[in-house]
Amino acid sequence: MKNFREVLESGEFTITAECGPPKGTDIKEMLEHARHLLGKIHGINVTDNQSAVMRIASLPVCRLLHEMGHDPILQMTCRDRNRLALQSDLLGAYILGIRNVLCMTGDHVSAGDHKSAKTVYDIESVQLLRVVDGLNHGKDMAGNDLKGPTKLFPGAVVTPESNPIEPQLIKFEKKIKAGARFFQTQAIYDIPKFRKFMKVARNFDVKILAGILLLKNAGMANYLNKFVPGITVPESLIEELKAAGKEEALDKGIDIAARQIRELKDDKVCDGVHIMAIGLENKVPIIMEKAGLL
Amino acid sequence: MIISKQKDMEEILNFLKGGKSFFLLGCSECAALCGTGDDKALNEMEEKLAKSGKKTIGKFVAKIGCQVLGTKIELKPFKEAIDEADAILVMSCGAGTQAMVEVYPDKEVYSLNDTLFLGNMTRFRQFDERCSLCGECILDKTGGICPVTLCPKGLLNGPCGGTNNGKCEVSPDLECAWVRIYERLKRIGQLDKMKEILEPKDYSKHFKPSALKAKKDEKK
Ligand code: SF4
Ligand code: SF4
Repeated sequence: MKNFREVLESGEFTITAECGPPKGTDIKEMLEHARHLLGKIHGINVTDNQSAVMRIASLPVCRLLHEMGHDPILQMTCRDRNRLALQSDLLGAYILGIRNVLCMTGDHVSAGDHKSAKTVYDIESVQLLRVVDGLNHGKDMAGNDLKGPTKLFPGAVVTPESNPIEPQLIKFEKKIKAGARFFQTQAIYDIPKFRKFMKVARNFDVKILAGILLLKNAGMANYLNKFVPGITVPESLIEELKAAGKEEALDKGIDIAARQIRELKDDKVCDGVHIMAIGLENKVPIIMEKAGLL
Repeated sequence: MIISKQKDMEEILNFLKGGKSFFLLGCSECAALCGTGDDKALNEMEEKLAKSGKKTIGKFVAKIGCQVLGTKIELKPFKEAIDEADAILVMSCGAGTQAMVEVYPDKEVYSLNDTLFLGNMTRFRQFDERCSLCGECILDKTGGICPVTLCPKGLLNGPCGGTNNGKCEVSPDLECAWVRIYERLKRIGQLDKMKEILEPKDYSKHFKPSALKAKKDEKK
């Protein structure tokens, strides 16, 4: 079976999903969700203390999912670890069979549940990409030779709806220069706008997976618009969710996600999608089926 | 300038519990501008202490409280009061307090202020942080706006995904430093600088405690 990197590089439409480790040691539900996705998706992201909320670390969960048969994508933020810790974790990830790493700066601790924590940010996303490139070439950040290099597939994130967009695009280019081979985008809902972003992105030799975040109801859409920078749900979609009524809102959200994925795939807008269902991972196969991917 | 803020009286009285008489020392530089170490602040502190039965037996606003030798000379006429006082209470920054510890190694010395940051007075008594003393200034590359300080994440290579119509994801009261840098570089025709990847900072330049022996002027 082809792994995430091979599928993506072969030009096949690539599907990734997400696994958010729980706060605490009961991982039954997490594993169940992951098992449900086995054989259906090409890669699975494991989040790294997402939203600065303390949970099980990404690395051991990646390993468990790897044992299960998934090809995990290790999300790695720079918020909680300095350059020594980041590098040693990357080496550790490699020897545990993890091959993909998504380099991120990470949400600020003020967003999370340990607000008095010290933020680290010794380095940041662009620099972390360079670190991965260095380790892949047998060198650590200080220029020392490694006894055995890594062979990690480095990815990054981009926010196509960032406002203003120009500085975001400059950073996007820097990430590519620093070694990013694939991008998973922040959630997008406005496909025409995303197409415009893709016009720019297509000037570069990188793979783009569009972020598809399942809308559970109109309330969630409004919340995203109000509180999550870089995500805009168009009014027309909110109307659709409202019209569906409370009971049917989730089904409508699934329809919307499936419809958008189908459009992205049929028109070859991007190279794949990253489906985020936040706690409703069991709906991911349904979305995929409706999108004609299964 | 160094920005300081007076501590809560409750906390102050707590660590002054044992003492009865004190010498107050202010500073005419930053602390005076902050209103934490000028004559007025010292007088008010004297009153507050009096209310709690504590006596001020001398007070003085040093010209430059962190200039150890100069302050030592300035304080000579106050020798008696200082000797008699249970403690010296310093109303400047943490450096000013420690200057007193150096001058009076046998005396109790307390800081009545919290020292906050290095910044500008942008309006009267409005202070905003501007520099984190990183030891390797990159302002030449960022249009003179410091991302190390003004971006809560200290990012060096452009805005994070949380940048929000010019505001920072961390607080709607903050402008996104990287949008400001972008706009400024554009305005001065240096946008190319933003495309350059800045290397990770060298924190050995930020080693603590730092010391510097600056060149002395040649004697005439
Ligand atoms: S780059 Fe460093 S020295 Fe320059 S203003 Fe910022 S913190 Fe201060
Ligand atoms: S929004 Fe701007 S200032 Fe705030 S953390 Fe992100 S890059 Fe820094």
